[in-house]
Amino acid sequence: MEQRAVMAQQLIDGNVIEACQQGDREAFQLLFESYKDKVFSIAVYSVGGDRAVADDVTQQIFLKLFTAIRQFRGDSEFTTWLYRMVVNACLDERRRRKRWLPWGETVAMKNPVDRKPQEKQFARLEIAEAVQEAIGELKPKFRLPILLKYIEGLSYEEIANVMGCSKGTVASRLNRGHSQLAKRLAHLNNPAIWGE
Amino acid sequence: MFSKHVTRDISAYCHGELSAEASRRFAEHIISCAKCRREFEEIKLGIKLAEQLPQLPAPEGLWRGIEASLGGPAPIESNRRSWQLRAAAVAAVLLVVASLGVWRFWGRGSNGSKKGSWQVQSLEGAPRIGNKRINEAGRLGIGEWLETDGSSRAQIEVGSIGTVDIDENTRVRLLETDPTEHRLELARGKMSAMIWAPPRLFFVDTPSAVAADLGCAYTLEVDDDGVGKLRVTSGWVALELKDRESIVPAGAMCETRPEVGPGTPYFEDASPAFRSALRQIDFAHDPAATKDSLTAMLNEARPRDTLTLWHLLARVNETERPRVYEAIAKYVPPPAGVTREGVLHLDRAMLERWKNELQFSWGSSDKLFKKKLLPFQKKLLP
Repeated sequence: MEQRAVMAQQLIDGNVIEACQQGDREAFQLLFESYKDKVFSIAVYSVGGDRAVADDVTQQIFLKLFTAIRQFRGDSEFTTWLYRMVVNACLDERRRRKRWLPWGETVAMKNPVDRKPQEKQFARLEIAEAVQEAIGELKPKFRLPILLKYIEGLSYEEIANVMGCSKGTVASRLNRGHSQLAKRLAHLNNPAIWGE
Repeated sequence: MFSKHVTRDISAYCHGELSAEASRRFAEHIISCAKCRREFEEIKLGIKLAEQLPQLPAPEGLWRGIEASLGGPAPIESNRRSWQLRAAAVAAVLLVVASLGVWRFWGRGSNGSKKGSWQVQSLEGAPRIGNKRINEAGRLGIGEWLETDGSSRAQIEVGSIGTVDIDENTRVRLLETDPTEHRLELARGKMSAMIWAPPRLFFVDTPSAVAADLGCAYTLEVDDDGVGKLRVTSGWVALELKDRESIVPAGAMCETRPEVGPGTPYFEDASPAFRSALRQIDFAHDPAATKDSLTAMLNEARPRDTLTLWHLLARVNETERPRVYEAIAKYVPPPAGVTREGVLHLDRAMLERWKNELQFSWGSSDKLFKKKLLPFQKKLLP
C-alpha cells in the first residue's frame, strides 16, 4: 500500500495539479489516493488516536484542498503547501477539542490490528502502541515535526518550510521530542523487549 | 579537547542533516564527553521509538464521503486531459504491480533496498555479493551476504562512520543500517573494523557474541565451529551475550564460545601460563580445576592483568572471590567509598568506580586512549 502511494505520488506533476485547479474530479481523486494515508495518519496522531475524528479531519482537509488548490501558485513545493494545510487543520481541531476535553485528556489509542500473543510480533505491536500513546501526549510543537519526519519522510528543511520556522528550530524541537519520548518510554530500553 | 557540547545537534547528526565537517566534529566531541554521550543514548532511543510509528491506512469509504460533499460522482468526461489522467492512473497501477513483483523476486536485500546499502570495494580477487561476483566495486544491501574465497578480499564502507576490511574465506551479512544502528553479521572468517563514531553505533553479530563498538579499531575472527576471537588495536569494544559482558581495551583480546558467550578479556602480552589458566576457567566447565587455575593466574598476574581479574570478580564463586579481590587491591586499592564488602557482593556502582581507577593501568600504550579518553577520565576522577 505504501509503495502504491509512493508510485502515485510520483505521478502528481504540474499537469495533475493544473487539472485539479480546473475542477477535474479524476485528477483530484488521483491526488487523494496519493496522500490519503499520510494525511489520515497525521490526523489520527494529532487528535489522540480517535479514528472517527481523524476521519472527519481528513475529509475536511481534502474538501478544503479541492477549493483552495486554485490558489496554489507554485511558489513552494506542492507537498509543503499541502502539509502546511494539514498541520493547520490538525492544530485547529486540537484547539477545538481542548474546549470540550479537560486538560491532558486524550482518547486512548486503538490498536489497528488484532494482536496475537506471538513473541516478537507481539512485542513490536506493544512498542508501536506505546509510541502512539506517547506521541499523543507530546505538545504539538514537538509532535508535529516528529510526524512530518517519520510519517511523511520530510527533510529538516522541508519541515521548516511547512512549519514556518528555521531548520535550527526543527532540529531543536525534534531533539526535545525524541528526548521526551525516550523518557516516557524508558522502560522499553531493553533489548529483550525488542527481540534483539 | 573539551569543545562546545553538541547535544542540540544529536538528532540532526543521526538523521544525516549535518555537514561532513560538523559530523566529524560531533563524533570527535562525543567520544570524549560523557554528558553528550548520555544524551546521545537517550535521543537514539527516542529515534528508535519514533521509527516504530506506523503509517495508518485511511478508511475505505473516505473518498465516497468526499465525493458526496463535492456533489456526487464525477461526470464522465471524454476530453484529452481526462484520458491522460486515466492513463496515468493505469500506468501507476501497472508500475506498482511490476515493481512489487521485482521487489518480491529480488527480496528486500537488493541493491535498491529502501533501507540502505553499503559500498563494497574489491581489494583482491573477485569477492561475491549474493551470487554476483564483483571485480571492482558493488553495493551490499540489507540481508545480502558478502563472501570472499581463498584469493579475494574486500573493503566495506560503513556509511560515513568507518571501514571494515574483509579477509580471505570470510562470510558477512549486512543486517541493519540506519541512523541509530549499523549491524553486520560475521558468520565465519576474519574482519578488521576501523570505526570513528560515537559508541554503540556499530555492532557485529557472531555465533557466540555481539561486538559493540565503543569508538575503536579491532579485528574479529570466527571459525567454522562459531568460536570467536577479538583483538582490539585502538579504543574499546564490548563483547556481549545476554547478561554476560566483556569490555576489551586496546592491546587486549577476548575469546568467545557458542552457548557460553564472551570469555574474560586479557592482554596479549600476558604470560602463557596466565592465559592457559584463564581458558580453563572460562571454558572448561570444571569447578574442581578452577581453584588451581585461579591460583596459577594470581601467581602470574601483573598490574595490567587487573583487567582480567576485575572481570573475574563477577565470574568466580563466592569462595574464590575474596582471593581475586585481594590480588587486585594489592596493585590498585579500591578508591574511597568502594568497600571490600560491597565488591564481594558485586555492587555494580562500586565495581564501576574501581574499574575507572584500574583503567589507568590498562590503556597506557594506546594512542587514542592517551589522546581522548585518559584526559577525560582524569578530569572526572577526584
